[in-house]
Amino acid sequence: MKIRTAKYMLKEGILNAYRNKIMSLASIGIVGASLLIFGIFYLVMTNIVYNAGILKQQSEICVYCDPELNDSQVKQVEAIIKKDERIKDYKLESKKEAFEKAKKRLLGDDTSVVEELTEDIMQVTFYVKLKDPGMSKEFISQYRKIAGVEDVDYPEAAVEFISGMSYWVTVISGFLMVILLIISMFIISNTIKLTVFARRKEINIMKYIGATDWFIRWPFIIEGIAIGIVGAAAAAFLTINGYNAVEARFNSEFLTIGTGLVKLMKANRVWNEIILIYTLVGGFIGALGSAISIRKYLHV
Amino acid sequence: MVELKNVTKKYQTGTVALRDVNLKINKGEFVFLVGSSGSGKSTLIKLLLKEEDCTDGTVLVNGYDLSSMGRREIPYLRRSIGIVFQDFRLLPNKTVYENVAFAMLITEALPKEIRRQVPMALALVGLSKKANVYPNQLSGGEQQRVALARALVNNPSLLVADEPTGNLDPENSLEIMKLLSEVNNRGTTVLVATHEKNIVDTMKKRVVALNKGALVRDQEKGLYGNEDKNSEIYA
Repeated sequence: MKIRTAKYMLKEGILNAYRNKIMSLASIGIVGASLLIFGIFYLVMTNIVYNAGILKQQSEICVYCDPELNDSQVKQVEAIIKKDERIKDYKLESKKEAFEKAKKRLLGDDTSVVEELTEDIMQVTFYVKLKDPGMSKEFISQYRKIAGVEDVDYPEAAVEFISGMSYWVTVISGFLMVILLIISMFIISNTIKLTVFARRKEINIMKYIGATDWFIRWPFIIEGIAIGIVGAAAAAFLTINGYNAVEARFNSEFLTIGTGLVKLMKANRVWNEIILIYTLVGGFIGALGSAISIRKYLHV
Repeated sequence: MVELKNVTKKYQTGTVALRDVNLKINKGEFVFLVGSSGSGKSTLIKLLLKEEDCTDGTVLVNGYDLSSMGRREIPYLRRSIGIVFQDFRLLPNKTVYENVAFAMLITEALPKEIRRQVPMALALVGLSKKANVYPNQLSGGEQQRVALARALVNNPSLLVADEPTGNLDPENSLEIMKLLSEVNNRGTTVLVATHEKNIVDTMKKRVVALNKGALVRDQEKGLYGNEDKNSEIYA
């Protein structure tokens, strides 16, 4: 295709979208609404996956040593941990540190009641982070058998729950998004079909005077892409602003409650993705919708 | 130029529109295709434009064998044929100039060629002064002249006109026929399907008559109806 022909088609496509203002606006509305719902699913999915990832990364396995162990025995346990290649990094909490922490946590500033207690009742703890959190189960069962280790603890249930949830949310959201896009593509296709129907005589004339199918098809496809992109822009504007508001509110609420566990991703981390995905998806369903609509009228 | 060899066209409904038609039109000829409604004129034109495929036989147009032609080649065949319809078929949202230029635009002609050819085609049909007018602002005769300019702008070797005067008054009909004759004098082969007895009789060109799908007469400098025995079938 020559550049001047491409220019002509681009101009025709955009002019056609402008000429059919009402139909175009209807299509833009449908694309925008579909993408907005798509975006909500996408953001929920992304945030769950994001939080699951953080939780997995942050979760530490606690290896509690027997309180009776002396320093050299503790060093033996530490040596085993040091050698273990599955471990990304670890932190040792001494008896003293554990005692101080417990005092602070349980009694605040009033430490008079525990004056008679000593740090000897506490145990040395290793806080371990694994390179691959998927190895946790195997790691825990092995370490429970090591001499000098009293117990191994891990927030298993929470991590497994959120991991399982992120998997199912991804599957269900993915499925719903595909269904949603197919539905919106058919709606767009039907909307564009009306414009194609209104211009079927024009298409017929073009065919008779020797226009190729692509020469006829391109302006309609460009019209579909233009509608898709404008719809995408509207949806992106609403999504970003809506998400900004929700994110600010949600994160501040949860932080003051003090869980700190579930956080929404920062809006600026998802902007680029949202804009890119909306533009591509909007343009693609617009183009495909147009191509489907016009097919029937090209057989002259 | 145009050759039909033992052409039969049977539609899916079972209607036989053309029966074993043999016809040859040479370069530079002017041919009237006559016959009553349902005689097969429109089907014959549809075959020439590859809008329909024949059931049996061979159709050759401008060097293309239409029987073995693929869908992708159809636009190139149609570009080699100028087409004029009874209902003009102009693009309503384009001006006269743009309608004519459009036929060149689809061939990806150079802008300077378009700027040269379109005014010439409009001058030929006497519409130079109406270049910037939209089709709905023109009379039927003028609209048909625009359609003729569009058909001629790519210098086709064959011009096919399907009832070009069907929607026109006698005066405009005659004007269009004069133009077609002039186009023919410049070397273009012209095939006109018509019901206009007066025009056919006045112009005294080759007449090919169809009746119930069969070619019943092919006469040099003929009349609309055969004065001897077949005149009633063309009424």
